[in-house]
Amino acid sequence: MEGIISVLGKAYENTLFVYGLILLLVYALLALLSMLAIRYYTRKNTQHQLETLASSPMAPGITILAPAFNEGLTIISNVRSLLTLNYPRYEIIIINDGSTDNTMEQLVEEFKMVAVDFAYNARILTQPVRKIYKSTDPAYSALMVIDKVNGKSKADAVNAGMNVATFDYFVCTDVDCILHKNTLLELILPVMQEEKKRVIAVGATLRIANSSDFDEGVLIRMRPPRQLLPRFQEVEYIRSFVLGKMGWSYINCVPNVSGGLGLFDTEVATRCGGYDHSSFGEDMELLTRMCRYAHDNEISYAVRYIPRTLCWTEGPSTVKIFSRQRTRWARGLAQLMYAHFSMFLNPRYGKMGMIVFPFNFFFELLAPLVEFSGILIYIYLAVTGQVNWPYASMLLLFVYTYAVMITTIAILWDQLSFRYYKKWWEVAYLCLTPFMEFLLYHPLIVFFSLRGYYYFLTGKKSTWGNMQRQGFGKKKK
Amino acid sequence: MFDIPTPAFLDPVFSTFREAPLAIRLAMIFIIIAISITLLAYFSILRSRFRGHQRKKRLDYLLPKIDNLIIDEILANPEVAAGTPADRIQLNLDGFQELPLHKKWARQATTNRIIHFRRNVRGNAGQLLRSLYIQLELSKDTMKQMKSSKWARKVRALTEFIDMDIPVADVTILPLTNSRNRELRAAARHAYIKLSKNEPFKFFDVVTDPLLMWDQVELFRIITTTEDISIPNFARWITYSSNKSVVSFCLKLIVHYNQLPAVPAVIKLLDTKDHYLRADAINCLGKLRVPDVEDRLVSMFTSQPLQCQIEILKAIGRISSGRQVDFLKQEFLHSTNFDLRKAAAKSLVKNDWVASQVLQELLDTADRESLLILKHCMNPLIKY
Repeated sequence: MEGIISVLGKAYENTLFVYGLILLLVYALLALLSMLAIRYYTRKNTQHQLETLASSPMAPGITILAPAFNEGLTIISNVRSLLTLNYPRYEIIIINDGSTDNTMEQLVEEFKMVAVDFAYNARILTQPVRKIYKSTDPAYSALMVIDKVNGKSKADAVNAGMNVATFDYFVCTDVDCILHKNTLLELILPVMQEEKKRVIAVGATLRIANSSDFDEGVLIRMRPPRQLLPRFQEVEYIRSFVLGKMGWSYINCVPNVSGGLGLFDTEVATRCGGYDHSSFGEDMELLTRMCRYAHDNEISYAVRYIPRTLCWTEGPSTVKIFSRQRTRWARGLAQLMYAHFSMFLNPRYGKMGMIVFPFNFFFELLAPLVEFSGILIYIYLAVTGQVNWPYASMLLLFVYTYAVMITTIAILWDQLSFRYYKKWWEVAYLCLTPFMEFLLYHPLIVFFSLRGYYYFLTGKKSTWGNMQRQGFGKKKK
Repeated sequence: MFDIPTPAFLDPVFSTFREAPLAIRLAMIFIIIAISITLLAYFSILRSRFRGHQRKKRLDYLLPKIDNLIIDEILANPEVAAGTPADRIQLNLDGFQELPLHKKWARQATTNRIIHFRRNVRGNAGQLLRSLYIQLELSKDTMKQMKSSKWARKVRALTEFIDMDIPVADVTILPLTNSRNRELRAAARHAYIKLSKNEPFKFFDVVTDPLLMWDQVELFRIITTTEDISIPNFARWITYSSNKSVVSFCLKLIVHYNQLPAVPAVIKLLDTKDHYLRADAINCLGKLRVPDVEDRLVSMFTSQPLQCQIEILKAIGRISSGRQVDFLKQEFLHSTNFDLRKAAAKSLVKNDWVASQVLQELLDTADRESLLILKHCMNPLIKY
């Protein structure tokens, strides 16, 4: 018996060693690839290009879809922010997903909206649309509001918007997100500059808005969040977008375009059935299905990311709301892996099947389980006196310093390219965060992920929950 | 082999290292590497921010001075307002000579401001800005950039020459139009069209790779904003070019310049096997409002893919001759495709100067969905 345990223990130890080694190498590779991608982006893209496109009659049309559920606190300033976007040809569609507060009334009153007889073509099935509104004020002619029955998901609301979208590309955002004025120009450029492939989705970096200053829905001063939990998220976003997504983008292996901001090919997104309203990770699920559709129909596609921050979103500032968000994300990931497992290591799906899917499976889905099992075994070994403490501490220190290094590199790329934040001490403040992240933030992520998997396995009913936003309509004095 | 002396206090560390298993030794090495890279990253961030701060401070001081000088000498120059040709206006460069133009960053800042102003003005003021750029010998830096081995610098230099309308010899630009780097290739082509004195559109004949959507935006801007450029009949490329993207782009230029003599070539394109190109040709004919082509479009309608069918219905709406009302009505009532019905209804509404009776009849008798489509198309608040 002891022999079997010893063999199993050795096998576990070796597997874990290889697993950890591959993960560390992947991150080192991503750091390198992201540097190349960002350097290429900064050399290629100029302000002049944006100005040229902003005044061009040949700019492709873009539809902005922004679902809103009980967003009365911020809806007006956020719609105003969308109306200030710099682009020659776009429409904004706000989808009021059966709000129970005064979101709809505010929109009607503020923007002089009236119900119109709109020929609604339900290409994707959604909850019924009650009415569609257009503004009588020519200043808001680009604005449209869909009032629909609540579909209990963002997916259902966006699908209703996709049914109405006029243009070949749509940008999906959350109505509580604040977008940079050049967002549409920046997002469409990779589509227009792609040589051989059809770009089916483009994403951009998101940041946490919590301590930044906004005036009437426009960012006027970017600051790292003062509270610890949002600051951890800021650092996590920088690492995930600037280092992770940019690295993946360089080799056309982007696994996900964030639900906060993404541009999509309307035709491909519609033909593959739009967002899945039963999914808890609808953004990642849609992109996976779009890639799958592209492969099945022999469309040579690309998914691109840009390193510039174009969207600011309010991050959860309490552990309770944060836990809800991360549990939902983890559950969504488990759902996705289960639903599309036929793509796993399937050469028919190219890089998606051979790189993206296996990476997500082993290093996103399994990572919390591996970590948790590791902690349990560690405790067992400690209790039974089998731990060589100096060596164990050394290994722990190695993982710790490596994690800090990777995050610091992400902050470095971000700073070298765009020099965000006005004061140097704000950057220093951010640079100190990774030292605590490993000890305080990461265990939370692991715990909430495990909870998400548990909910997925047990099929626990889960509500979407309200973000309980603070709002950032006014400049903080 | 080598006996490197180490301080005594490090002896326990080295002995631990020597005695540790391989994995731990590697971990120790990587800890040192990770700490070094992290420290290096901090230093790079600090250095970059310091440099950025210095640059900002310098520019905050210099840019208002440059702007004021440009405004005083050029934009508010009474001779410019009086319409005196730029080549007869004597620029007073004394103020500019006081700028620290012996420094590269100051020359670049001055160039950037001149370009900024030139993009926003035309005519004499624009010419005078160009003259200022030449007299301050700022183009020397740009010429140096042209000789750089880095593609990004060459692209920047070419863009600067385009903006300042500085002639560059064909022998310098032409080799770059075949560069392996796509960005440089595109920039060289744009420069060739803008700056070449010999047949600026020649590259349409030789280009074999597709013009990207972005290339088309840039080319369209350059072609439509360049003064003194002789616009050829684009039918030439519609007929002879084997590059589909060039043909598609020329269709857009034909619409922009309303080149009616090109219509026969565009009509011939209706026979092409590429339905994307055919849809573009139909779109072009609709925008040119060629009434003679309506019968042809209607006769080919049933054999076309959806994209071309929609373009045909839109073209009939744009032409609005009033002769195809029955066809539009039939498509509106009997088509099973929602987008076709909507396009037919929109075109009926555009033909309302003869179709008002038909529209009223449809409004009175249509089923719920048809009525909704009609009301949608007739509502001026709904654009699409």
